[in-house]
Amino acid sequence: MKITRWITALALALSLACNSKPATTPSTETNDSSATTSPQTLNLYTWADYIKPELVERFEKENNCKVVIDTFDSNEAMFAKISSGATGYDVIVPSSYMVQVMARQNLLMDLDHSKIPNLSNVDRDYLKIAFDKDMKFSAPYMLSYTGIGYLASKVGEVEPSWNLFADSRFNARCTLLNDMRETIGAGLKFNGFSLNSTDENELAKARDTVIGWKKNIAKFENEQYKNGIASGEFVLVHGYSGDILQVQEENEDIVFVLPKEGYSIACDDLVVPKSAKNPELAFAFINFIHDPDVAAENTEYISYLCPNASSYTKLSAEILANPGIFPSPEVRAVGEVLNDLGDEIVKYNKIWDEIKAAQ
Amino acid sequence: MKQRLSLPFVMTLAVLFFFYIPMLVLVANSFNASKFGGSWKGFSLIWYETLFQDRHVWHAVKVTLIVALSATAISSVLGTISALALHRYQGRLQRMHQTLIYAPLVVPDILVGISLLLLFAALGIQLSITTIILAHTTFCMSYVCMVVLARLQDFDHSVLEAAQDLGANQWVTTTRILLPLIAPGVLSGALLAFTLSIDDYVITFFVAGPGSTTLPIHIYSMIKRGNMPIINALSTLMISMTFSAVWLSQKLAKRRILS
Repeated sequence: MKITRWITALALALSLACNSKPATTPSTETNDSSATTSPQTLNLYTWADYIKPELVERFEKENNCKVVIDTFDSNEAMFAKISSGATGYDVIVPSSYMVQVMARQNLLMDLDHSKIPNLSNVDRDYLKIAFDKDMKFSAPYMLSYTGIGYLASKVGEVEPSWNLFADSRFNARCTLLNDMRETIGAGLKFNGFSLNSTDENELAKARDTVIGWKKNIAKFENEQYKNGIASGEFVLVHGYSGDILQVQEENEDIVFVLPKEGYSIACDDLVVPKSAKNPELAFAFINFIHDPDVAAENTEYISYLCPNASSYTKLSAEILANPGIFPSPEVRAVGEVLNDLGDEIVKYNKIWDEIKAAQ
Repeated sequence: MKQRLSLPFVMTLAVLFFFYIPMLVLVANSFNASKFGGSWKGFSLIWYETLFQDRHVWHAVKVTLIVALSATAISSVLGTISALALHRYQGRLQRMHQTLIYAPLVVPDILVGISLLLLFAALGIQLSITTIILAHTTFCMSYVCMVVLARLQDFDHSVLEAAQDLGANQWVTTTRILLPLIAPGVLSGALLAFTLSIDDYVITFFVAGPGSTTLPIHIYSMIKRGNMPIINALSTLMISMTFSAVWLSQKLAKRRILS
């Protein structure tokens, strides 16, 4: 009796499983074959809307391949996934500091420069401050900056300086980023030190500067400052160039400046993981991105700067005149890249706690 | 005489307010010409227009639906079977079975996600839409099982015995008596599984492979430089579809009662 019951249950399970099968398997199989088994597929792992769609179509046509784009939302999440053994991606677009971590963990393939001749177009001035100066395993993709956005009608003519955050005219009408490295970095730069300083005395000075600003600002804010400056609630914000340029499209009163004391440059890089299935196509893709015409077109679309020196002459006058995308050479010279500090980061954690606790 | 506002009435109003006001704000913002929703810049359908041209969003929608429908179908079957087994048979083995079914409900998502990824990596299974379906089935199954088990608590077994007395064999009693009686439980379990699968982010992120970005992953990723208002537009479409489905089913149910 019992055995027949088991058999019935099993038969029931099988019949139901068979019923549900046709609905699911065909679609998954077609998806699989297009994504993985075809040799001519480039799997790109990047941020959403981070490449001009027409350029992807052009690359597909020129190389007779298919580009599959997947997206992630933070470097850390992407790293957790890749370092746990997720495979199948041919080109990944992490930020520079994460490239350092991935390189240390031996996750990245060396770039074959003979297959990427266009790397000679990459801006040498940028490479001087980059972490991977010889582009051993990464090619820069897009640069963005952290600076100051303000309402010209409220702030007036000012010199671009971090000291604006100490100006009592903007008391409770300005915000600093709620980001340890960026905000302590601003304090370090104001005092004339490196963004990547690990010297206790320098950090203490930066701490005192930021605590001074803290008394003047409305709050530490990473997201809402965009709405705040768009609606005029805030008149002066510490923010990322990409964000502030987007808000500028709606409120022409907003100006973006890079402080004269120095600021941070963030770069997202193109890397090929060791687990890539199609490294040849990955190198072809990096080469394509650094074609001067393609780089210029991509810069115009994304409003970040692709550091490709040969593409600069092809950029529109509008982009060249925009300091949030294309800073003048003198301004560019004082920018610095945030490095991964490894274990030294505890010093920053300590100082950040002190800043947050200060009254 | 003025009636005093009772506490339950105020509570109900407050709860409904918190449920529906965010949705109304979202719907309103999907027609706002402003990108940031900070201020009203006039009525516009631009986000709907952009949405229909964004092939990445639509691909993500397609993947999400394939995953949700497959995971729901498989987990409904498996969950119902395990609920029947847990209800029918007692013993030490079944107690262990019950614990194992419960576990995915309490284990944090991040742990499930990363351990599944490690398993797939160790077995050399290429991450794809199939691995997402497998992962979703594992946690959806537990929910379906719990819902069906609750339904079985007040199931009258004498009905089955009566059917057997009248000469129905095992197959007939199962398909004609048992399944129709527990169908509402299976259905609500399946609906729960569907909703859980469609908005899961943490587990999906770890087990998604090339070409299988789902809608929640895509939306999170748009934080960097995406066009957020098109998500308002997409959500508005989804909300209106859900509400019309609910309205339609209520209307159909009413007609059946009347006739």
